[in-house]
Amino acid sequence: MIFKINFLLLDYAIRSLMRRFNKNFFIFLILSVLIFLLASVLMIADAIKLELNSTLKTLPQITLQRFIAGKQSDVPIERVEALLDIEGIRSMTPRLWGYYYFKPAGVNFSVVGIDAYEEQYSSTLSKVVQKFDIKLLEKENGMIVGEGVKKVLSENYYADFFNFITPDGKWKRVQIAGIFHSDLALESNDLIILPKKLAYAILGMDESKATDIVVHVANVKEIPTIVQKITTRYPDMRAITQDDIRISYQNIFDYKSGFFLALFTVCAFAFFIIVYDKTSGLSSEEKREIGILKAVGWSSEHILKEKFYESFILSLSAFLLSISCALFYVYALQAPLLRNIFMGYSELKPAFLLPFSFNFSMVVLLFLLSVPIYIAATLIPSWRTSTLDADEVMR
Amino acid sequence: MIFLKDVCKSFVQGDETIDALANISLHVKRGECVVLKGMSGSGKSTLLSLIAGLAQPNSGEVSVDGREISKLPELFSAQLRRQKIGFIFQKFHLIPHLSALENVIAPLIPENLSLSRLDEKAKSAMEQCGIAHKAQMRVNRLSGGEQQRVAIARALVNEPLLILADEPTANLDEKLSRELIAQFERLKRQGITQLIATHDPLFFDLGFVDRVLEIKNGEFL
Repeated sequence: MIFKINFLLLDYAIRSLMRRFNKNFFIFLILSVLIFLLASVLMIADAIKLELNSTLKTLPQITLQRFIAGKQSDVPIERVEALLDIEGIRSMTPRLWGYYYFKPAGVNFSVVGIDAYEEQYSSTLSKVVQKFDIKLLEKENGMIVGEGVKKVLSENYYADFFNFITPDGKWKRVQIAGIFHSDLALESNDLIILPKKLAYAILGMDESKATDIVVHVANVKEIPTIVQKITTRYPDMRAITQDDIRISYQNIFDYKSGFFLALFTVCAFAFFIIVYDKTSGLSSEEKREIGILKAVGWSSEHILKEKFYESFILSLSAFLLSISCALFYVYALQAPLLRNIFMGYSELKPAFLLPFSFNFSMVVLLFLLSVPIYIAATLIPSWRTSTLDADEVMR
Repeated sequence: MIFLKDVCKSFVQGDETIDALANISLHVKRGECVVLKGMSGSGKSTLLSLIAGLAQPNSGEVSVDGREISKLPELFSAQLRRQKIGFIFQKFHLIPHLSALENVIAPLIPENLSLSRLDEKAKSAMEQCGIAHKAQMRVNRLSGGEQQRVAIARALVNEPLLILADEPTANLDEKLSRELIAQFERLKRQGITQLIATHDPLFFDLGFVDRVLEIKNGEFL
């Protein structure tokens, strides 16, 4: 019976909402802000977790770094051979990377050295790089750059090449052999891929050393044992596992979440004040209106139906608007401000797009936390008044 | 049409219990026009409220159109009030921020009528009371006389069998009071049963009034 729609009652409810426009608009605003904030935070958290999980899958199982005097130092490549005899290690790859400061623009480029002649690199690069000239790379005279690097270089009159200055003051003229596709811009924006030999020269590193070593193991359960064996053999090495990175990210994430918890508490407090105000009673004007309506033939059921329509329209429209705005804000606008507060400005580099993940259970949870609570808060005092004798209420 | 038997109603005010009605019995036939006279506080309004089902008696029986309204579930007593009874209140009891039209159609809303039927009924009631031209005005901007007409139109909009009027001329001047009395006379001719509670002497000598009953301290004299 209660769900049979009486369109005249519905019309009365809408008019009633409009009659108390200021009060209802204020409630609508608070409710919308609260749901929007909560939905945005949950959506960002969901997206970050999704991205984090997919990023973690691509990270090396173990990364070995060397520390001397508390600072990261290059790792002798001979250690790769020396460590390969540890049981459980499937492969070890020395990596070469660093930063090159480009003074005219005041920016750092990320420089990575690769073995260009290795088939695994050349086939992958040909897929992700436009205008790719493999010969230039193989001749150790070319580089692949991100769109951001290309733009910065072009602005400084380097259209096709760039003159690197090595730490010992020599010039290295390197041709641009390819540019990463624009859809990889966020990942490759500041990236320069160089043949290893050239990278060594530009970064000023000894060719017998690597920046770090990545280790792949046959059985992930053996990672703690393998790490222990490595660090026992080479006490100056630090092993970073996927779990370490996950915990590190999680700590940052949890710390930032605290800020939102505080923000949410303030909004929730405002919402519950409204709810408390609503449940604690109706204004004398509202009570009188209920009394009159009962006197002219409305039953308690009609009164409650009308109040239900009112609160349902208000809370549902606030809910739908908030969820729509949160979806747009988080996924279309990439959550400006909130995203930075959540992730920090550099902790999760490289930058990434918040991936779309519509969590239906989260939306249902938000709905249950807002709409039914508000409806109940509206119906309870109306029910109390409507069960009184109309004569008594009108007096 | 109206049948009351040994009806008692009392109110509690602080530590004191006030007997508003004491063993009242009354029978009003269909089409009859009865005037209840008595001073303020004599129990007239309480009696009308009990007949309309707006309040419950402490004891006794209150029946309207053959149904004991005091014992009906709330849903059915509301339906009876909406479909069979038109109540004209002393203080009009209009919803101030609604227009005259919205006030008049208020009793029809639970019926979920079509818009054309709603419009037809509202128009007819408002024209009958000479207030159709003020339909869109908010009632708090209308004069006392106009508000009274809106209240009467609201009481008539459901084409009731029974009109209960509580001090209907209390807030009107003599001219408007006479216009209202003429309205009651028309209703009498239409065969509508009327119970009018008043202490206005204008009602005591009217040709169309069948009976004048006096009530004092909650009892008929």
